Amino acid sequence: MSGKPSKTCFVTIGATASFDRLIRAALSVDFGKALESHGYTDLRVQYGKDGDGLFDACLRHARDAGTSTLNITGFDLDMDGLGQYMKQAKGQGIKGANEGVVISHAGSGTILDALRISVPLIVVPNAELLDNHQVDLAQALAEQEYVVYGRLNNLAQALDDAEALRKRHKAWPPVNSGVHRQARGLKGVMDDEMGFLD
Amino acid sequence: MAILLLAILLTLTITSLAAYRLYTILQPRSKPNKQWSPQRKRGERTHLLIVLGSGGHTAEMLSMLSRATSETTPSHRLNWSDYQFRTWVVGAGDSISAQRAKDFETSLAVKAKTETAGAVISTVPRARKIHQPILTAPLSSLRCMLACCVVLFQHSRTERGFPDLILCNGPATATILIFASLLLRFLDVGGCQREGKMRTVYVESWARVKRLSLSGRLLVWVVDRFLVQWPQLLEEGVCKAAGKGEYLGVLV
Repeated sequence: MSGKPSKTCFVTIGATASFDRLIRAALSVDFGKALESHGYTDLRVQYGKDGDGLFDACLRHARDAGTSTLNITGFDLDMDGLGQYMKQAKGQGIKGANEGVVISHAGSGTILDALRISVPLIVVPNAELLDNHQVDLAQALAEQEYVVYGRLNNLAQALDDAEALRKRHKAWPPVNSGVHRQARGLKGVMDDEMGFLD
Repeated sequence: MAILLLAILLTLTITSLAAYRLYTILQPRSKPNKQWSPQRKRGERTHLLIVLGSGGHTAEMLSMLSRATSETTPSHRLNWSDYQFRTWVVGAGDSISAQRAKDFETSLAVKAKTETAGAVISTVPRARKIHQPILTAPLSSLRCMLACCVVLFQHSRTERGFPDLILCNGPATATILIFASLLLRFLDVGGCQREGKMRTVYVESWARVKRLSLSGRLLVWVVDRFLVQWPQLLEEGVCKAAGKGEYLGVLV
């Protein structure tokens, strides 16, 4: 290993559905080049329980193409959750590491995990899912500048956008203002219903 | 022939009585109203039931509870020790959700000084598995419904009693559980309706930005409180028709 500071891109497709197109896009030669140009050293992919064959094939293809110095690793699922991988992408607990990025499917759990540790996040909705409300969530959060909306045919662009997002980072959760502050949120509702009158 | 006629008459009578009964159990609690709410002092025996629904639903529920229990302003902080008994409902085979519920209870036991002994995890069969054919869904839903009735009823003779409050955020299992609670209230099993048990709080998933989920569309008519996390959802016809829906900011 050289003395170059490490910088990790963590890609996750979630536990429920497969998302082959995201795995392919993340391991494409072009995206590899984009990662290197932004100083990334590591690419880690959570590819799901049926994704190992595809991952291996893509990895071979990327190696055959030659020039990449990226350290590419992958795993199917982790029952302990994705916290440790998110932290690696955040650069937490690793000496001399730079903050990287997380690229995720649009599942709300994964999005929340990334927002909570405030690592830059690129959300790529899976167009193949039925009843696709995940697109709406990704769009709404991108409009509010919490995440970057990533497109499969142009992940490199999303990576540029994520670098910009890193600079004007917004904290999660948003501070509820005005009337919502008075309403005491979930506690207020539960107290009302329980009849705690104090 | 006479038997058929009798059967029809009987069905009609039962249906109209049932409709009236349903009207009465939904009516007084449909609006949040201090007079109809039970009044309690903190420290009284209370039972909270939380439905976890796998994947994003579980993540959102735990995120919401973690946030509420760690609010910095005391008046906004959910006090876990106000709920002596907790029941977590998870779908069969969803060991991840069960584990996350345990982890949450353990972390609160240290932080809020609650007894993890107050918490139990109850498993119910899934209403519909992913990729299950739609034809067999009614059957598995019925099985889930029965299991939900058991979960709601099982502690009613003990100190825990019926749940006082049911908190859920939308998976199919939660919808069925809420309808199971209506059925028990409808029949006033164990006095649950008279004693004002099983009040319901539904929080629409944060992932629902533009359109309510199917669960939301069904439950808005019957729950006591209906919360959304994107204000535009309150403009939906079904919220207006049911006269329900509140936006209190993002809760997750």
